[in-house]
This record gives sequence, structure tokens and C-alpha cells, in this order.
Amino acid sequence: MRIAVCLKYVPDPSTIEVDPLTGLIDAGRVLYMMNPADESALELALRLRPSNGTVTVFSVGPVEADRLLQDALAAGADAALRVWDDSLGSLKPIVTTMLLAAALRVKELPDLVLCGGHSVDRGSGTVPALLAEHLDWPVATDVTQFELRSGRMRVQRRLARGARAESEVTLPAILGLESGLVHLRQASLPNLMRVKHTPIPLYGLEELGLSPQDLHFPAMTLHEVMPPRPRTRVMFTPDIHGSVQERVAQIMSAGVAGKTGKILESGTPEQQADAIIAFLRQRGFLEQPT
Amino acid sequence: MTTHPANQQFDVIVVGAGPAGSAAALLAARAGLKVLLLERGEYPGAKNASGAVFYGSAILNELIPNWWEQAPVERHICRRDIAFMSPTTAVALDFRSAGVGFATAPYNGFTVLRPKFDRWLAAQAEAAGAFVLTSAVVDDVLREKGHIVGVRVRREQGEIYGKVVIACDGVNSFLAKKAGLQREFHPHELSLGVKEVIGLDPAIIQDRFHLTDNDGIAFEYLGAITEDVHGGAFLYTNRDSLSLGVIGQVSSLVERRKRPYELLERFKAHPAVAPLVRGGKLREYSAHLIPESGWAMKPKLYTDGMLVAGDAAGFCLAAGLYLEGMNYAMQSGLAAAETAIFACQKNNFSARVLAAYQKNLKQRHVSTDFRAYRHAPSFVNGPRLQNLYPEMVARGMEQIFRVDGTPKRKILPLTYRMVRQSTIKPGQLLRDVYQVARAYLW
Amino acid sequence: MVMTTHEEKMRTVRFRVGATPHIVVNSEICRNDCSVHACVYVCPANLFVPLDDGGILFNYEQCFECGTCYVACNQEGAIRWSYPDGGYGVTFRES
Ligand SMILES: Cc1cc2nc3c(=O)[nH]c(=O)nc-3n(C[C@H](O)[C@H](O)[C@H](O)COP(=O)(O)OP(=O)(O)OC[C@H]3O[C@@H](n4cnc5c(N)ncnc54)[C@H](O)[C@@H]3O)c2cc1C
Ligand SMILES: Cc1cc2nc3c(=O)[nH]c(=O)nc-3n(C[C@H](O)[C@H](O)[C@H](O)COP(=O)(O)OP(=O)(O)OC[C@H]3O[C@@H](n4cnc5c(N)ncnc54)[C@H](O)[C@@H]3O)c2cc1C
Ligand code: SF4
Ligand code: SF4
Repeated sequence: MRIAVCLKYVPDPSTIEVDPLTGLIDAGRVLYMMNPADESALELALRLRPSNGTVTVFSVGPVEADRLLQDALAAGADAALRVWDDSLGSLKPIVTTMLLAAALRVKELPDLVLCGGHSVDRGSGTVPALLAEHLDWPVATDVTQFELRSGRMRVQRRLARGARAESEVTLPAILGLESGLVHLRQASLPNLMRVKHTPIPLYGLEELGLSPQDLHFPAMTLHEVMPPRPRTRVMFTPDIHGSVQERVAQIMSAGVAGKTGKILESGTPEQQADAIIAFLRQRGFLEQPT
Repeated sequence: MTTHPANQQFDVIVVGAGPAGSAAALLAARAGLKVLLLERGEYPGAKNASGAVFYGSAILNELIPNWWEQAPVERHICRRDIAFMSPTTAVALDFRSAGVGFATAPYNGFTVLRPKFDRWLAAQAEAAGAFVLTSAVVDDVLREKGHIVGVRVRREQGEIYGKVVIACDGVNSFLAKKAGLQREFHPHELSLGVKEVIGLDPAIIQDRFHLTDNDGIAFEYLGAITEDVHGGAFLYTNRDSLSLGVIGQVSSLVERRKRPYELLERFKAHPAVAPLVRGGKLREYSAHLIPESGWAMKPKLYTDGMLVAGDAAGFCLAAGLYLEGMNYAMQSGLAAAETAIFACQKNNFSARVLAAYQKNLKQRHVSTDFRAYRHAPSFVNGPRLQNLYPEMVARGMEQIFRVDGTPKRKILPLTYRMVRQSTIKPGQLLRDVYQVARAYLW
Repeated sequence: MVMTTHEEKMRTVRFRVGATPHIVVNSEICRNDCSVHACVYVCPANLFVPLDDGGILFNYEQCFECGTCYVACNQEGAIRWSYPDGGYGVTFRES
């Protein structure tokens, strides 16, 4: 079994300081590292690798990313490959993905690609899915656990509000893993010493059989990145007409008691849909018909 | 000695890539030895915090001519102040020099930022041929028939062999302790330094401290700054930041129940300091121990197969007027490397041969300096020099300069009256004058 | 700003937290045998939190690895002290 792991060289968010006046990042103080989710992905790949299997690590990034690939080799990866071209500036996720897909094809395509679910810098969370599109393989994102069972991958995925889903995908497949699942193992001393001067093969556009035109994607442009704006929270105020006890009870429950869901069990699907739309209109989530 | 696979066998293993370790590795590698430099940080300097004024320019210049032209240095020191503080005033001895060696090459001292400087120095050792391995924490020494033959790195298959081990692992030196060369320390032998790097525009720094170009200042403070904690404070200029910190003897921090970072805030708020730091922005806070007791905490410096250098050997002069460790670290590291080279020539790594270290230390003025200043630490950490005298000086000056309609007194009667009013007995004063003289003059 | 709280100071320091604690405090000893609680005052990272029962709550994540608590503590065996694994722990950028 051949496993590929995509490793991104990212700035440690705790070292990013933005000058409030100029809005510029103090580049001299930024330290880089392996994207944490990718670190778990690598460790899980090493644990999964059967005795006749291989783990190959890939990164799209400048020469500094070699350090990260060397760390991966020291931890036990069998081979590494870096993609970069001086014509590349900052990359859109779609471009990164094309480069990764081309790099995966350099040797025979692997049976399984492990990615982090999100990078800590840009964190669009789109690379695993885009890669799936490129390779035309199944993908499971937000994966918290996986297990190989007779050639099929059983995965546990994290859904919103703590819910879990169990799914199964056939190989070859791509998994986008959550971060912090496991720590990357400490490399042995001989390995650490060996990789220090190990050259990492570098593939540019030409070697990957791509031209700058292939990477031209005007269809998707990032216009702006905004900090998350939390929704204004409405403080609960009790109904002033109630008795003291009622008001205290209302305050204690912070109004939660009033928020019971309604389960639509009867009616045709059309009627149920109408009920949902009416509910959303009533709560102001949809505009009223004019 | 048994031999081990060639790739696991080095001539010299240096533990710790501070100034001691990198200098040792550099010199040994230049002599053609196979050198391994082990550092536990992600990069050399990642764990290291100092003031820091590096007073070893001339030493480094011998190894790397005009080193400051390529190294990450901040400013060269052309003005030094020692200030005696009372809670509201400060009296400073001010030394400025444009003379040879201060404002001209090779310069007397440079401010440096350790994570940058140490990284550069280790890279020089690497360029000279040393194998520099980071993220490698050494847990123990390896022995065969009583001889130290290598070290154990905390990783799988972490045993690695070398003919000589040079322990440059800093103030806490676990290695010297594991080798049985050092004892556990007492809290009165160590001081804790807490430090801040405060960003400030270079133009403001030049203006505020009357500096041109890359000139810089080094201010040292004694007295009320640390309240009744034994210690002092410092403030140095970097290119676009200030380094400032407070140093307190550990035992005395415990006794007085003082939190070091609160002393740091008090220092910045002192009327003599606040205007110097105004408008700055905190860039990094750090903390590190300092071996204060010098000669008194010196370990046994060598044993079969191992040498100890730098802070690990207590070669840090921290005594009031002086806060110098990097230069001695470098000197002792070089002396250790010279000894290792000598032992490799003899192909004998027993303590008998490694004893040449003592001679090499003397030649590099390390042991002579520390012997000369062996009385300074205990005196400087005495309560009178720490608190009473600096405050007296500061208050005395306040009275001399105060114009408030009372009759002006001449300085001697004023001093006499102040001594009478304080808790100091005249006999004690005389003894202290003698001790200052013995500590610093002869 | 120049004047800063301890929290603001700590936010300027970068820590790469290792998987296992490099310092372990035996709170039993703190509770039963120690009246000084030196560690609480000297730790520049303020990592020792005294508990009502006389014990100590300790978090290793934001440690400078300076060794001050170890020399200041006068109770044998209360603090098990070592460095974090290679590459982990505090990483100064400018000090
Ligand atoms: C300075 C800068 C400027 C940018 N400008 C733009 C821009 O103008 N427009 C735009 O759309 N995006 C831009 N980006 C985003 C950027 O290039 C994306 O970060 C990158 O393409 C991957 O997307 P992501 O980080 O969102 O990946 P995610 O989808 O969040 O990452 C998931 C996983 O994919 C894998 N992965 C992602 N990137 C790599 C990689 N380089 N090598 C190997 N594996 C990888 C990892 O396993 C990772 O955990 C910019 C980024 C930077 C740093
Ligand atoms: C607040 C403060 C201000 C100071 N100001 C000045 C000043 O202005 N001028 C001056 O000259 N000196 C100053 N000093 C003193 C100076 O910092 C030291 O004397 C000097 O750094 C000693 O150098 P060294 O190489 O012996 O040890 P260090 O610089 O401490 O280096 C030891 C190295 O060994 C590594 N190490 C430790 N243990 C291990 C292990 N087990 N395995 C692997 N690696 C290990 C460490 O990570 C470190 O890199 C100051 C100190 C402090 C704390
Ligand atoms: S000083 Fe030592 S024994 Fe006392 S509370 Fe702190 S860790 Fe515990
Ligand atoms: S080593 Fe220093 S920073 Fe870490 S817990 Fe001890 S005193 Fe605090």
C-alpha cells in the first residue's frame, strides 16, 4: 500500500503580529512549522503503513519547506518531493491542488492521500476536496478516525454540534484529517542525523508537465479576507408581567425553555417544506414575499 | 577504548550551542577534528536570553576577522552608565568614550539578540565543518570503564560516541552534574533575570540617547530598583529596540516574596527609566538564570573524557559593575577546544592530559579574572551595597542639589550626617570601603 | 505599550508544547511539607497556582525552562525537573 501525505509549511499563528497602524505582518518575527493537522496525518500514515508499504510526503512551497520534508523523512517517511517554481508567487488553493495532483502523478498514483483538513494560515479547507475533483477519487473531510477494513476505509467524521458520522470509502481515496488527533513521533537520532544533508527532489512546472497558462484561474479570485464577526447576542429579558417566581425561573433558564424544536411528522413533503419556509419567514430568516 | 561505527564516532562532542559551545565547535572543526555540536532548541539561541552586551569582540575577531560586518549585531557600546537609585532619584556614573577600541574596530562591546547571534555563530561552526544538530536534548553521559565516551540524546538509538565531550550546556548544566563534576546549587548562588525587548523607532532611540549611527549605550542600575531584593537592572539599546531587565538573587526573591515580573514593571515606571522607554511596544518577554557566585560554584572542570566550559563551569562574572558571561563563555569554550585538540594529538583523553585545560584557561585570562574577582559576588550581594549605599548616594545627591532655602552643606559633612542618620556604623563603612577595594581594585 | 500585565508579557513568547510534561510537581509534598511555597513567587511565568488545601496546581505549557523553581524549592522530590523533548518548549525570537 502506498500512502501520500500532503504537508504544508505554515507560519505559526502565535508568531504572527500585525502592526495595527500599517496592517503589515512583522515578517522578521514569524516562525514557520508543519501544519498541525498535517503532522497528525503523517503520524497516522506511518502507523497505517504495512511492512511492504510506503509513505511519501509532498509539499508545495519555497526552499525553506525542505526542512519540513526532512523532518518527515527523519520521522520515517520513505520519500519526499517538493514542488516549487520561481514563477509562483502566492497560490490559490486551486493552483496548489493542481500542483499536488501533478506531483502525485510523478510516480505511480498512491492508494491513499492524507491531507490536513485545514491549514492554520489560510485554512480554506478546500485542498482535499479539490484534489478529489482532480483525481476523480472519493474524499472524506473532517475525519477524526479511520480504519482500513478489507480494502475499504471506514471513517468517522465530525459534524456540526458534536455529531459524528460514520462512512465508508473505497480506495483510492483522499482523507482530510482534523488536527490534534495524534502527535508526530520523535525521530531516532540516526535518522535525524541522516536526513540533515539529504537533498529533497524539487519539481518545477516544467518537470510536472505544466505551463503557467494551466495555472491561470481568473474564474476564482479572492477579494477580501475578513475577521469573523460574531453575531450580536440578544440578552434575555424576562416578561415583566409575570410573578416574581416566574421571572426568576425565566432568568434562570435564560429563555431556553421557550426554544423547543418542532418535529414535522405529518403531511406531504410539499406541505412540510411549506411549513419550514413559513417558519423561517416568521423568524426573519427569509424575506417576506412582496 | 572500544571503537564504534564510524558514523557514530566523533572526535569531539560539544553539548549546547551557546557562545561557549559554538566557539569550541568552531575551533575544533578548524583544526580538522570531527565535531558534533548538539543543541536542544529548535535552532541555536532559541532557549537563550541575556542582556546582552557581548564584550568578546576582540576574541571573536581572532577567529573571524571583522566578524561584526557579517554578524547580526545591534549597536556598539560607546557609553556606559552605572546608576544608583533611590525610589525617586538616580545618580549615574557616566562613562563615554570615542577612544580607540570603543567607537572603532574591533569595538569594545556590541549589543546582540541571542536567538539571532547564537544562530549565526553556530552557522560559523557549521561552515568550519562541525555537524550541528538541533532539536537534540542530551540526557546523560556514556561511560566505559569510568571514562566518559559519549552522550545519550533523548531519542531512539540516542547513544553517540566521542573521544572528548565538552559540556557547554549552560547554567543548569545537567551534564556536569551527571558526570559528578558539579553539585546541586543553592538559591543564593543563582540569580533570575527577567527581560523585555521593547520595540522603538531607531530615530527615537538615537534622539533619546544622543546617539549617532550604530552607537549604543549600556546602562546598569543598582539600588531601589529591586527594592530589598538583591540584584540590579539593565537597559541596553538595540537597533530598533531596547533590551531591559531586572536581575534578582533567587534566595532573596523567595525571602521577600517578590515576583520578578512585578519588579520589572516597577523598574520601567521609575522616574529615571520611564522617559527612556516611553512609547515603546513590548516585543518579547523572557527569563533565564545567571550563575552569580563565580569562583565559589566552579565545578571540577575536567574528568576522563570530558571538559566543562561557559556558564556550565560558572564562568560568568555577575558582580555589580560587571555582567559578563558571553565573552568568558567563548574564551573558556576556546580553551576547552584547544585542550581537546591537544588530547587528540596525544590520542589520550584521560584527566591527566585534559588537565592542560587549566593552563589554557589561564592563558585566555579566564581563571585569572575569576580568581581576581572571587570576592566580588558575595560582597555585591550583601545588603549594604545592594540597597543602602546606592540609596544613600542617590539621596545625598538629591540633598546636594536641592535649593530650598536651608543652608548649603559641603559634601563631607553631609555625607557624615547621612551615615550617622542611617543604620550603617562608621566601622562598617570602612570595612565596606576596604571590601569594595579588594573586590575591584586589587 | 510599555507597561504590561503578566498575561500580555506571556503572549509575546512562543511555546511549542510537547506531548508530555517536562516538569511534574508532587502536590502531596507541597500540601504536607512545605510552608514557603517559594515556587509561587519566583516563577517568571507564574505557573504555580496555590490551592486552598495547600497544594499546588502546575501547568507546564508556558515554561521558560529556566530552572528557578527547581533551585528555589526546598522540598526534596517535590519537583521532577527536566528539559522538554528536543525542539519543543520555549522558542525565543529576540531575547
Ligand atoms: C501570502 C499568501 C497569499 C495568498 N494569496 C492567495 C490568493 O490571492 N488567493 C487565494 O485564493 N489564496 C491565496 N492564498 C492561500 C493559499 O495559497 C492557500 O493557503 C493554499 O493554496 C492552500 O489552501 P489552504 O491553506 O486553504 O489549504 P487547506 O485546504 O486549508 O489545507 C488542507 C490541507 O491541504 C494540504 N495542503 C494545503 N496546501 C498545501 C501545500 N502548499 N503543500 C502541500 N500540502 C498542502 C495540507 O495537507 C493541508 O492541511 C495565499 C496564501 C498565502 C500564504
Ligand atoms: C538576564 C541576563 C542578562 C545577561 N547579560 C549579559 C550581558 O550583557 N553580557 C554578557 O556577556 N553576558 C550576559 N549574561 C550572561 C550570559 O548570558 C551567559 O553567561 C552566557 O550565555 C553563557 O554562555 P554559554 O554558552 O556558557 O551558555 P548558554 O548561552 O546558556 O548556552 C547553553 C546552550 O546549551 C543548550 N543546552 C542546555 N542543556 C542542553 C542539553 N541537555 N542538551 C542539549 N543542549 C543543551 C541550551 O539550549 C543553550 O543553547 C546575561 C544573562 C542573563 C540571564
Ligand atoms: S516550593 Fe516546592 S514543595 Fe513548596 S509548594 Fe513549591 S514545589 Fe511544592
Ligand atoms: S523552569 Fe522557570 S518558568 Fe518553568 S516552571 Fe520553573 S520557574 Fe517557572
